[in-house]
Amino acid sequence: MKERVPEPSMPDPDVWVDQYGDYLHRFALSRVKDPSVAEELVQETFLAALRSQENFQGRSSPRTWLIAILKHKIIDYYRKKRHEEPRDDLESFTDSPDHFFNEKGSWEIRPNKWSTNPTKVYEQREFMEVFYRCVSELPERLARTFMLREMDGLSTEEICKILNITATNCWVILYRARMNLRQCLELRWLKLT
Amino acid sequence: MTEARWMKHWMFNCKDVSKKVSESLDRKLPFHHRAMIRMHLMMCKFCWRFRKQMLILREISQMTDLPGESLDPAFALSAEARSRIKNVINSAIE
Repeated sequence: MKERVPEPSMPDPDVWVDQYGDYLHRFALSRVKDPSVAEELVQETFLAALRSQENFQGRSSPRTWLIAILKHKIIDYYRKKRHEEPRDDLESFTDSPDHFFNEKGSWEIRPNKWSTNPTKVYEQREFMEVFYRCVSELPERLARTFMLREMDGLSTEEICKILNITATNCWVILYRARMNLRQCLELRWLKLT
Repeated sequence: MTEARWMKHWMFNCKDVSKKVSESLDRKLPFHHRAMIRMHLMMCKFCWRFRKQMLILREISQMTDLPGESLDPAFALSAEARSRIKNVINSAIE
């Protein structure tokens, strides 16, 4: 007979902060740079979790469930914030990847061969730390768009709505984010290997 | 149109290819763009590498919730925030 795996249960709310507070806070800080906003988002996440505790059905771990709530809170925050930010003016940004190419459009800074495939060395914490640091060092707008797209798996249409940008600008931002990130990984990590 | 100029018109350079490869991760490109990328990739090992690395970037991103797992104590909740949030939760329960 198959042994029944106990479903993860939600601990009492009075231990939430000690158990999950730091994790949620670090996650929030990776998405919003302002520590006071990150704290606020963590607090809102716990309050929302409190209101909808009965929806926790033990299909995922409590931490995963809380992160899912936090992700929604972060998206709400981006939505509110988009009105305060200047409209798209991509030309004024200094993150353009033009310097990677010469005037003929050929590589000036050529992509190096990656001797190790980092996806095969996922256990190597070192690499993931470098990856995370490179993402967090991207200009905020690039980082935000990149994480919504690649880590949260949202479509460009969804991202356009949340950030109030056009699809074309979204593609440009993602391109710049990927170019910067690739370069950062190459400089920081691949030299170590 | 001379042959060289004609070729240029129908071929992407590395800069174009890098943009289009990135775009292809976000939407389905028209057939002729995909064909032009393929043609360029067959001849250019740097763009080939670039494309492979873009796919690796995508794969890595989907593998991780790492931001939450970072061990850097600088990113932990401060003692003040911790007790403030606890108070808010407690008063919400009562």
